[in-house]
Amino acid sequence: MVSEKLQKIILNELKLTSFDFKDETTANQVPGWDSFNHINVIMAVERDYNIHFKGIEILKVKNMGELQKLVDSKLQLN
Amino acid sequence: MIGFLDFNRFMQYIDFNKLQQLFVYDPANQLYFSTSFFLFFFFSLLLFYRIFSFSKNLKIYTLIFFSLFFYYKDSGYFFLLLFLSTFINFYFGSWIYKSKTDGIRRILFFSILLINLGLLIYFKYTNFFIQIFSELTSGNIQLLNIILPVGISFYTFKALSYVIEIFIGTMEPTNNLRDFVLYMYFFPNILAGPIDRAVAFLPQIGGDLVPTKEDMGKAVFLIMSGLFKKVVIADYIGLNFVDRVFQVPLRFTGVENLLASYAYSIQIYCDFSGYTDMALGIASLLGFKLMDNFNIPFLATSIADYWRRWHISLSTWLLDYLFKPLQMNFRRMRIYGSALAIFITFLIVGFWHGANWTFVVFGLFHSTYLAVSLLTQKYRKAFYDKIHLTGTKTLKVFQIFVTFHLVLITAIIFRSDSLKTARNVFHQIFEFFHGAVFFQWISGYTEVFVLILLGYALHFIPKSVDNKVKSMITAAPIYIQAILLALMILLVVQVESAQLQPVIYFNF
Repeated sequence: MVSEKLQKIILNELKLTSFDFKDETTANQVPGWDSFNHINVIMAVERDYNIHFKGIEILKVKNMGELQKLVDSKLQLN
Repeated sequence: MIGFLDFNRFMQYIDFNKLQQLFVYDPANQLYFSTSFFLFFFFSLLLFYRIFSFSKNLKIYTLIFFSLFFYYKDSGYFFLLLFLSTFINFYFGSWIYKSKTDGIRRILFFSILLINLGLLIYFKYTNFFIQIFSELTSGNIQLLNIILPVGISFYTFKALSYVIEIFIGTMEPTNNLRDFVLYMYFFPNILAGPIDRAVAFLPQIGGDLVPTKEDMGKAVFLIMSGLFKKVVIADYIGLNFVDRVFQVPLRFTGVENLLASYAYSIQIYCDFSGYTDMALGIASLLGFKLMDNFNIPFLATSIADYWRRWHISLSTWLLDYLFKPLQMNFRRMRIYGSALAIFITFLIVGFWHGANWTFVVFGLFHSTYLAVSLLTQKYRKAFYDKIHLTGTKTLKVFQIFVTFHLVLITAIIFRSDSLKTARNVFHQIFEFFHGAVFFQWISGYTEVFVLILLGYALHFIPKSVDNKVKSMITAAPIYIQAILLALMILLVVQVESAQLQPVIYFNF
């Protein structure tokens, strides 16, 4: 499950009104989420949750479900 | 008795020396997909593959044996270097995976990175750096006698994909050395890619390695189209037109230089995508799926889009393993961090293609394009919105046209043997155009002209049409497929021998 908040951050950053995010959704399926914008999306997530990702943690993430899990694990640490 | 005598007579006709030479490394006589010896090589392999169909283990060892021979035939004793590289990467992969602390993991990873890149840099760039140093100090330093092991840029990147993914944690190492040897030596992609990922290739060895009917049909289509694009189109227009112009651009008018540039764009596409098609088709007959390299690249609407469609196995490799980590590290610099990551990535792209300033400048052009496009993206979009062009066909056609010509500029630099040659080509196009020569050129180079058009036509064919032809071939009986393939080989042989004529004629 991708949380409402995470969906909203991403939609906001990509200036989309709606998108059906699933756990197995990958970046290249979402309009506007290309390799340049990728970093903006990641930084928006970091900013709005007030968390910090390590480079290698982000490289490991393959889809939305894994991004959600990573965010959750960071929130537990805080 | 008579049979025996005939056999003796028959044996007299065979030149055993020559026969033996076929199996020994010979730099002047290498083994490529479009050579006649390759046909023999590949059919023998298929035969053994069939005979050993009862045992997958034997099939895999057959593949390894033929792959080792293939690489030996093309590189001589450098195949031992690849052996070394294979072993080292295999063991480092498993050590990285098993290491207990982060520190050790890092040390192991950076060591194997250094070993791989060190070998690549030594063989590929030592003389280039010596030359630069020599020019800077106006000294006269002797160049070293280094021979570049064929395929080293490709298999180094294959090996790196394995250790990088293990380091990141996106794949587990294989504990089967046999499988890893096959990954590294797999002959269809060893000389010029596609640069397949270990994470996609290794699991396939676990499959049954039997091509389905679809695989067979696809393979026949790919090998036919590959041969046609490579030998009939690319080699022909290269030899008979592009090479001549780029050898002495100043001897030709601007319009001929421009035409040679258009011709070169389609030549390199047909050459490389034709080669890739053959690699994909050959692998498909052995039950393997390799990564595709091209997706109608000249239909790109931006340079970024172009790199998503051109040499995909290299561009995604660099995107995943170089650009993304750099971008993550530079993220505090926001958009300028991305721009810096682009410059570094494309400097490497340039160097990867070879040790020559032309390739460095080629990389610089592409990185400048991408950086400018990134930094102006917002303003361009606002402008297109304002004049109501966003989302229209007109804008798309305009963008395709501009992107194609931006790429054309870099293709000219890429093809030139030196920056001076490139400058001469641009000089002729802008200062000595003489458009009227076009009609003369058409009558003098009719075949080349037709092949250039045919090349572009083939390139722009939508994938859906490709797929339709593929399924038609798949549906056809096997003997029809064999006849089609034989006819294509016959055509290719005809064109190959015909090619000698214009060159001889040129000497008069």
